[in-house]
Amino acid sequence: MGSNTSSSRSALALYLAVALLLVWPGRATTQTDVRIGVKASGTLKSPLLLERFRAGAGAETDARNAHDVVRHDFDLSGVFAVADVEPLTEKLTPNPAEQGTVRVQGIIEMAGPGLQFSGEVLDIGSGESVFKRSYPTTRGDIRRTMHKFNDDVIEALTGERGIAETKIAFVRTTGRVKEIWVADYDGENGRPLTHDNSIALSPAWAPWGSEIAFTTFKRGNPDLYLFDLVRGASYPFSTRPGLNTAPCYSPDGKWIACTLTRDGNAEIYLVSRDAQTARRLTRNGRIDSSPSFSPTGNQIAFTSDRSGSPQVYVMDTEGSNQRLITLEGKYNDSPQWSPKGDRIVYASRHDAVFDVIVMDANGQNAVQVTFQAGHNENPRWSADARKIYFSSTRSGQRQIFIMNPDGSDVVQLTNKGGESFNPAAGPRAKKRLQAAGSG
Amino acid sequence: MQRTPRIATLALAALLLGMLAGLGCSSRKQVTTADTTPPPPPPTETTTPPPPSEPPSETTAEPTAAGLDDAFFDFDAAEIRSDAKDALTNNGRYLQAHGGTNVVIEGHCDERGSVEYNLALGERRARAAKDFLVSYGVPASRLTTISYGKERPFDAGHDESAWSKNRRAHFVSK
Repeated sequence: MGSNTSSSRSALALYLAVALLLVWPGRATTQTDVRIGVKASGTLKSPLLLERFRAGAGAETDARNAHDVVRHDFDLSGVFAVADVEPLTEKLTPNPAEQGTVRVQGIIEMAGPGLQFSGEVLDIGSGESVFKRSYPTTRGDIRRTMHKFNDDVIEALTGERGIAETKIAFVRTTGRVKEIWVADYDGENGRPLTHDNSIALSPAWAPWGSEIAFTTFKRGNPDLYLFDLVRGASYPFSTRPGLNTAPCYSPDGKWIACTLTRDGNAEIYLVSRDAQTARRLTRNGRIDSSPSFSPTGNQIAFTSDRSGSPQVYVMDTEGSNQRLITLEGKYNDSPQWSPKGDRIVYASRHDAVFDVIVMDANGQNAVQVTFQAGHNENPRWSADARKIYFSSTRSGQRQIFIMNPDGSDVVQLTNKGGESFNPAAGPRAKKRLQAAGSG
Repeated sequence: MQRTPRIATLALAALLLGMLAGLGCSSRKQVTTADTTPPPPPPTETTTPPPPSEPPSETTAEPTAAGLDDAFFDFDAAEIRSDAKDALTNNGRYLQAHGGTNVVIEGHCDERGSVEYNLALGERRARAAKDFLVSYGVPASRLTTISYGKERPFDAGHDESAWSKNRRAHFVSK
């Protein structure tokens, strides 16, 4: 990034900031006080003109493939409204009337034994380059390279990286067997993680991204195991008699909140990741389950049917100050706190169907974001909170979908074989956190 | 980014809205096709249906302990219904007559609701059945419980006829 582009970049960032403020109902000045049952407001995106990528000799197919991958990434980002254009034949003429629109150029050329992709983003308003980078790659690595380019572009324009380099975990059913699968953020390159030939459920990512907690019946009892993605193996974490379910890591990775029934009824516990300590947080004769940490780690949202039917509650992480926060609906479950902290997504049963609801973290402004499309459950935020993964029966059996938090841009991500459900969005690649304990 | 002064951005927001109107509309139409798939008909909901008298033809049932009946439950409930009392009373009589038989009581749920909540609900059902039998006089040491939640339905259907069979405490010999 040259210093001569910094002023135009900040001007562009301002425009994008305005656009992005309008993208999310929870932030937007245009937010309507829509209640459950009424359609959420639409999404406004920044315009992006995506050029057909140019190709060096012998790389024509690679240029088309790269373009298609990043086109899909830009579309899925929730940030851009993408239009396809031909490459410029001469220098871009600045057009202040189109301030805020960007133009993305790319070229793939043979480079030694492999390929090189060079991408650039131009601000049409000023005519200046706001991002430019070259990526060495190979024919088999183009998808990953373009995911990185997508995330780099989004970071350059908005200040926050995209999620194209992240992974998702989910449960996939084959006959009576349920295994944990991992795939790219867009559902591509799916592969089974477990091969337990049993029932594996409820995957949850460690904040450092190389470990997944999940429930498995492989030894008969629903036990919690941790899968180490580096070693490619799992090991038992909590095998107490009764349920060991619904894991959720604390943001610092030191604790796993989960549901245990060792004291006779489903209660929420904090179990240290070294498995040495278990702290009980809830105490009542009804079900308490599905804990989800706030991003500060100070609070936990969870499901309880202590009032007679499942509802979403919040408590302090010590277990104190437990309070009902869902104000509407008779059956609310599966809360997950946004990585930004401002909102909670959950699934609500109404009129004999399930739909995804997004509300402020204090329970206000609940907005239904799925409509009349089968059962929509298991909502989970993406790492950047710009997307929500969920399972839906809208195309038949349960499959994984992704959408914007206002319910727009619904895209199905899984379709092969049996049912897929229980999506869990992985964190962004980052420096490895120091995990607590010896593990 | 979210700290952008609102006053300074309002005019720009209006400008941007105008510029984006055309693009936004056309792209919205393309991307919402997934929503146009006709949804399956909503399931009907009833409470306290009669328990099934015969197993369905397509069954994924675990082996049942001979002479032991399933106890069925209402939706989102673990309370013992009157018909379940009859079944559990029969089971209690059988277990007292067969002192060597130890059983696992499996708690099961219908497919509605989350994996995690239903695991907890199935646990409550299994324990409710166990508590009933212990009250009847069967030693607790002969009874263990496990919940399969909604993961091992007896009937793979998607209607109340299937659901009513799947909300159950099921007995398996150890």
